[in-house]
Amino acid sequence: MSLLDVKNVKKIYTTRFGGSQVQALSDVTFSIESGEFVAIMGESGSGKTTLLNILASLDKPTGGKVYLKGRDLGSIRDREMAAFRRQNLGFVFQDFNLLDTFSLEDNIYLPLVLAGKKYEEMNRKLEPIAQKLGITELLKKFPYEVSGGQKQRAAVARALITKPQLILADEPTGALDSRASDDLMELFTQINQDGQTILMVTHSVKAASNANRVLFIKDGEVFHQIYRGNLTNEEMYQKIAASLTVLTTGGDR
Amino acid sequence: MFYPKLAWTNIKKNGKTYIPYILTGILTIMMLYVMIAISLNTGLDQMEGSNVLKLILRWAATITGIFSAIFLFYTNSFLVKQRKKEFGLYQVLGMDKGNLAKMMVWETVLTTVISLLMGLGLGMLLGKLMFLILLKMLRFEVPLKFAVEPQAMLATMIVFLAVFTVTLLFNLLQVQTAKPVELLHGGSQGEKEPKTKRLLTLIGVLTLGAGYYIAQTTVSPLEAIGKFFMAVILVIIGTYCLFTAGSIALLKILKKNKKFYYKTSHFTSVSGLIYRMKQNAVGLANICIMSTVVLVLISVTFSLYAGMEDILSLRFPSDVHVTIQGSSQEKIDTENQVIEEEAEKAGVEIENRSSYRSGTFTAIYKEKEAKLLLEEDSDISNETANFRTLVIIPLSDYNRLEGKKESLDKDQVLVIVQGDEFDSDTIYLQDEGFAVKKVMKDTRKTKDELSYVVKSIILVMPDADKIAELKKTYGYEGSDQIIYTDYFDLSGSGDAKESVMASIQKRLTAEIPESFTEYKGAFRQDFYALYGGFLFLGVFVGALFIMATVLIIYYKQISEGYDDRNRYQIMQKVGMSKKEVQRSIKSQVLLVFFLPLLVAIVHVAFAFKTITKLLAIMNLVNIHLFLMCTIATVLIFAVFYGVVFLITSREYYRIVQ
Repeated sequence: MSLLDVKNVKKIYTTRFGGSQVQALSDVTFSIESGEFVAIMGESGSGKTTLLNILASLDKPTGGKVYLKGRDLGSIRDREMAAFRRQNLGFVFQDFNLLDTFSLEDNIYLPLVLAGKKYEEMNRKLEPIAQKLGITELLKKFPYEVSGGQKQRAAVARALITKPQLILADEPTGALDSRASDDLMELFTQINQDGQTILMVTHSVKAASNANRVLFIKDGEVFHQIYRGNLTNEEMYQKIAASLTVLTTGGDR
Repeated sequence: MFYPKLAWTNIKKNGKTYIPYILTGILTIMMLYVMIAISLNTGLDQMEGSNVLKLILRWAATITGIFSAIFLFYTNSFLVKQRKKEFGLYQVLGMDKGNLAKMMVWETVLTTVISLLMGLGLGMLLGKLMFLILLKMLRFEVPLKFAVEPQAMLATMIVFLAVFTVTLLFNLLQVQTAKPVELLHGGSQGEKEPKTKRLLTLIGVLTLGAGYYIAQTTVSPLEAIGKFFMAVILVIIGTYCLFTAGSIALLKILKKNKKFYYKTSHFTSVSGLIYRMKQNAVGLANICIMSTVVLVLISVTFSLYAGMEDILSLRFPSDVHVTIQGSSQEKIDTENQVIEEEAEKAGVEIENRSSYRSGTFTAIYKEKEAKLLLEEDSDISNETANFRTLVIIPLSDYNRLEGKKESLDKDQVLVIVQGDEFDSDTIYLQDEGFAVKKVMKDTRKTKDELSYVVKSIILVMPDADKIAELKKTYGYEGSDQIIYTDYFDLSGSGDAKESVMASIQKRLTAEIPESFTEYKGAFRQDFYALYGGFLFLGVFVGALFIMATVLIIYYKQISEGYDDRNRYQIMQKVGMSKKEVQRSIKSQVLLVFFLPLLVAIVHVAFAFKTITKLLAIMNLVNIHLFLMCTIATVLIFAVFYGVVFLITSREYYRIVQ
């Protein structure tokens, strides 16, 4: 059984007064195995963000089903949804989404506090993660006091601390400079090697070249996919770039 | 014409933030103008007790002025924060700081002119309207004509020009010292966590404690007048300090307690509150002060109005009250004759009559030395607690009045104390000693009119001549003689009684020029005018403060809504359920909004004792009535507050979600 199964997912947005309809996703099917590091690429407007929102159960598909470890996301009641999301999913966002009223430490604790954990337990969990991400010194600082790369590390720590089944990352390098982006991707690779499953939506070929598998989405469908196999990052980069060229110049499958 | 036009467009474009700001300006200008105008009203001088009224109004005007300045500053700082990005953009597009300053000056000129014109205009209209309502409401003639008061206009204009100028300078300073890039990010820049301000917290605790202490320890009503104002100022300072610094200090302590802080229900609330208090402390303190003022004003004026009959019977224990300066037997006989003739003519009986001669002195009581200082030059203002009214009554009058058969040797006296302890064998008047034969605690009839304001000491002396001698030596000019006092009731009721009393007064005034006659009926109307006027003012000022409170609450909810929106969206993404988000919002908003009300109620509770003393000066000693009025006012106000809260919080939820 796959960790994540996406079957024939469809999403149609209707404008507020029911006038015109926009099809964001027409028919998306793929699955992700435990321990994979998958990147989803596509142009602006291809439906990447819609797909991620559906996977994050922040949005509901118009048709099709999403299964996490065999459980249908659509069958989870609203009341349990927040807890389900907290326990099974970790999020990393483009704009970090750290609360500026909390120190980095408190930001990282947030999901655990919401789950009702004790301080001692949270602190025990935080230490190794902070060390791995190199933010031990920064824990007492506030988001406005640290750099973008450091903020994103804190956000990653927040996603990791609940030991989720799957980390969903939405353009995690989008707001970072190239140096910080490289560092973050290295970090992603590292935590993936530790066994963490990651699904990342990105624009950046460089970021995607770190993944084991890249899915290309065009016009609301999975258009193409590339497996890493034994390729190095550079070779992977070439291959992705070539695929993108085909994608944008409008070749057939 | 470029800059005025640009400024005008800016104001229009930023209507969402500018309209509440200008509205605030208009409202506070109107309030201040009406308040000063009433306090300057010449018609008011004809009212009995207008001095106290004017004093109260002057305090109210001062507090309104201070409050307006603080509130406009508060609103303005929000405004500037919202517009920082815009200012940055103007600089990026090629305006230099001089141009920007010019634009801001024009904006301030426009808002000032609009606020002043509308505020003063509305002040004149509303002032007139309010007085028309007053005349209708009280259904009798009130000697108040509300005219336009140029002096009040000038004063209001000066105050607000100063306030607007200072806010402009503050804004200019903010823009001048910032780099364009900082301005561009100004609105979205993360706010620093506030630091604990220990000194300010300490000042707050001390001033509030001192204010409460003064309010609790004030014993004599005369003291209360002066000290109440001091206590008010101290409590205001304390309130501002504790809301701004104390609240944050407390929250930080809570945050340090890890067991408490890292709980689902406390985590987001405590950290959220720290920022909320940083941004809103001044606004909340404003609401708190205003609520207190509203509660005190309305409960005091309402209990004065409701307790009018009590006040009347205290001020006039009997239907008629005659005093005659210089108590020659001839005058007393004439007086007696006039009263009996008039009563007989109208066919009414004279009842409960008590008459006596007495000498009244103002004195400073030195308890240790059992001494009363009567010298005029003794400094009374510093000795309000030891201030006494000394009444000396001849033995014969005392025995007649109380139906007793006391006897005294020469230089022997009876001492009657009220609220004091006295156990000396000798009592000294200035330096002259008198042997004390007996000390008594109460008397039946020689109740002094002012007994609730100033403590009295009554001496009974064997000889009226000695009293006259003392009066000659220590009395003030114009009151250096023994006074003959005569109280009595008349049987019957209604117009017949009123007309007898009127004719007694008329004849006595004509036949004994040294006499002074008062009767209850004549004063009833005056009292209704006075206390009706008080009630009106209380409700009027209360209503104005409530309006301002509503505005602040509304304004705060809206502005907070925008601030909080982002925060709650993040929390939902990270795994907080909608319900948890709502609960967190609710607990914070509830606490923030009902804190000022709670503190206001505590303020009122502490002020209660002092206010009862102040009411005693106005002859209201019915503490039970005042308590009931206060409780009723608090309840009504709380309901009103709750309704406002419900309406505005709906707006808030709409923005957040």
